[in-house]
Amino acid sequence: MTDASGPVPASRPYSGPVGERGSWGRPQQPANLADILERVLDKGIIIAGDIRVNLLDIELLTIKIRLLIVSVDKAKEMGIDWWRNDPMLSTSEQGLADENRRLRERLEELESGEGSSQGG
Amino acid sequence: MAEQATGHGGRLVGRGRYLYAVSRGLPSDALADVPGLGDGRLEVLEHQGLSAVVSDVDLEEYGEEGLRRNLERLDWLEEVARRHDEVVHAVAEHGPVAPLRLATICLDDVGVRRRVEEWHDALEQVLDRVDGRSEWSVKAFAARAEPQPAASAPAGEGEGGAAYLRRKKAETLTRAEGEEQALKVAEEVHARLSAVSVASRRLPPQDPRLTGHVGTMTLNGAYLVDTARADEFADAVRAAQADHPEAGIDAAGPWPPYSFAMLEQP
Repeated sequence: MTDASGPVPASRPYSGPVGERGSWGRPQQPANLADILERVLDKGIIIAGDIRVNLLDIELLTIKIRLLIVSVDKAKEMGIDWWRNDPMLSTSEQGLADENRRLRERLEELESGEGSSQGG
Repeated sequence: MAEQATGHGGRLVGRGRYLYAVSRGLPSDALADVPGLGDGRLEVLEHQGLSAVVSDVDLEEYGEEGLRRNLERLDWLEEVARRHDEVVHAVAEHGPVAPLRLATICLDDVGVRRRVEEWHDALEQVLDRVDGRSEWSVKAFAARAEPQPAASAPAGEGEGGAAYLRRKKAETLTRAEGEEQALKVAEEVHARLSAVSVASRRLPPQDPRLTGHVGTMTLNGAYLVDTARADEFADAVRAAQADHPEAGIDAAGPWPPYSFAMLEQP
């Protein structure tokens, strides 16, 4: 077993090696987009404001992101911006319900048996 | 200041107040150098002992219609998500922070104050819970199954169908064992890190298409760590990395305590 055989996670430590500093300094490199979206969309405090965002839309969006999109940074690195023209990613009223159902089924498939315990 | 008017077809036009986070004892100039969304100026709204961090946003962009349209645009979403997160981080430098979910928008300061009043006690509880603590994210991976080395096939057996099937079966077994082992490692790492945390939770694994990681994410853990015990937590991460180099254990933080800032629903 060597290091070279291990996976190479694309996500980098947020702010340098763990434990090097305990303060809240600026991150030295941008955090993984997946980590940010996971937190600002799925976590944090939910208080309904005056502008009501359709939760279904956000949920759907999150599912789309989980399933379909590579990180913007990574995509830009690779010189692609296909999501701009991806029909799945541009709003089309037509077929949205079908798409929603398909994505939910796919998500359930992916998440079933993962044993992740989401407390709270 | 927020002002709004009803435009064509009853659509709201004007400015709204985007609410990033709630803290307490936040100096009014604490965020002077931090840009808000659309480079708007951040303001601290003091109400009932809590500090709400807000900035003006254009309701053309952040109204219900605008949000519906914009949330579908990943470049827009990324920019807003990163800016929101940067503001929450900046607040965390000054004190405990209760981050709000992306796109919490009121029409004016009256609306913001009303929310602070309604949720006052719950917000206080969250701030108490996260005060002096921060969140760390730790991930582990199962390496992708590697092709069996040719050496495992006895020499002279030839490439007949039976040999092929035997080899396939062996590969499948190895892969299953490998996955089982990787899941055990994830459990063990999670238990070790939880032991040096105030609270912990396992989030659903992220999709490789979003993160670019190779292999299966077996652990996507969030850990609420006492600042005073941050070194101890870091040691535990390093020990886990040393014990399981194959798991590609990756730690990121400190994060504001997003994963531990839930309100108790009244």
